[in-house]
Amino acid sequence: MFKGLSLVFMLLLSLSAHAEYWPAEQWPTGPTVTGPALQALETYAFPPRDEATRKGLRTDALLVIRDGQLIYEHYAGPTTADTPHLTWSISKSLMATVLGVAYGEGLFKLTDPVLKFYPPLEKHPTMTMADLLHWASGLDWQEDYEYAPLKSSVVAMLYTRGHPDMAAFTADHGEYAKPGQAFRYSSGDSNLLSAALKNIVGPTRYPDYPWTALFEPLGIRHAVWESDSTGTFVASSYAYLTARDLARIGLLMARDGRWGERQLLPKDWVAFNREPFARYQANQDDAVPGGHWWLNRAVEGAAKPWPAAPDDTFAALGHWGQAMYVIPSESLVIVRYGDDRDGSYRHNDLLKLALKAFAAKGQP
Amino acid sequence: MNRRSFVRRRPFSTLLLILLVALLGWIWQERVALWAFPDIISSYTAKEYCSCRYVMNNPAEYCHGYVKQWLPTSGFTDDAASKRVTVRGMGRSNSAVWVGERQGCRLSP
Repeated sequence: MFKGLSLVFMLLLSLSAHAEYWPAEQWPTGPTVTGPALQALETYAFPPRDEATRKGLRTDALLVIRDGQLIYEHYAGPTTADTPHLTWSISKSLMATVLGVAYGEGLFKLTDPVLKFYPPLEKHPTMTMADLLHWASGLDWQEDYEYAPLKSSVVAMLYTRGHPDMAAFTADHGEYAKPGQAFRYSSGDSNLLSAALKNIVGPTRYPDYPWTALFEPLGIRHAVWESDSTGTFVASSYAYLTARDLARIGLLMARDGRWGERQLLPKDWVAFNREPFARYQANQDDAVPGGHWWLNRAVEGAAKPWPAAPDDTFAALGHWGQAMYVIPSESLVIVRYGDDRDGSYRHNDLLKLALKAFAAKGQP
Repeated sequence: MNRRSFVRRRPFSTLLLILLVALLGWIWQERVALWAFPDIISSYTAKEYCSCRYVMNNPAEYCHGYVKQWLPTSGFTDDAASKRVTVRGMGRSNSAVWVGERQGCRLSP
């Protein structure tokens, strides 16, 4: 009798242990999804591709994780499952996640002045780590990639005057608002965070820190993160991961910073990432900024940015259609890499079709 | 009085003169950005080609299409042995070089 009970207990225990899937060296695969909803998604995401004109939607990779299992992946163009794809500004959210580990080590506080870790900011002594994570440094930065090349701070930072030392180039900008008072999306802010991290963890640990703190614990084996001539990671733009590896970060975020048994990111850090910046005003950007992640939240004067997706959806987004959407309420992580040159890609369209194809089927 | 009469006698020259002064003023004000501007196309092409080819490991032909912009470039060289990409455009030359497995490519200073 007792023996029978303990056997049932053991069985229950092993069942509950299996209910939560995590990737090991490879992702566990879940049941394959087929049907018209998936077809509609593929018709949208993978139209015939023209490498000469580069017009229209050009999805390089689409990958879906549900409940910790890989249930869909498709690649196009030259991209394969092994391609460490350029993430552009998804790198910003990755840097926030790396910083989260340092935050968990107790190495800095959100209210710390950035000056404490990055002395060239002496003219901006009140700017805090939280201000940078909100893209609210107050620095007079011009973020325009292609349409105003002469005035673009980001083009100058990546390709001309700023590239040898991107953080110093950013710190050299004047102030248009007091730090923390106004949202203005800035790649410079992200690179100031990257430069601050150097002193937060120390110059010895810094060159390997994204790997030791984040990539290795998650089993990410092929990440590349380019740096400027001073060795500062280009946190604004230049991290490269395979779609499968990026999804590991998504799963970490979907599960509140926990990886298996380990709370890699403090829960209050993830809560900060997902909390809308209070000074953000409706329609300043395509989505609502949290702590270096993008949120699907209604703010005063505007509906949520992606009506087709649940309110708890949040994302890391990059130039030319790079996106990772995390939807905790549906246990979904969706990675979409692309090479869209004409802006015809719509987050809401992809989310609508993906939710129709993949949502609410494997829910416990 | 004299100046007024010049303005009356040469209204178009006066206008052109004012525009010229305004243009020179703008050039002076934007001199740093203007001087850096011609570097954009060669820097961009060298850096993003290097990463396309040696970080993302895409085929050379694809990477040429990937970095194509509306401004023309000339003198493209990709030294596969040293993984160094050099591009000329708008009278400037810039190089990017592959640094390592984790560090990817970087523009040469």
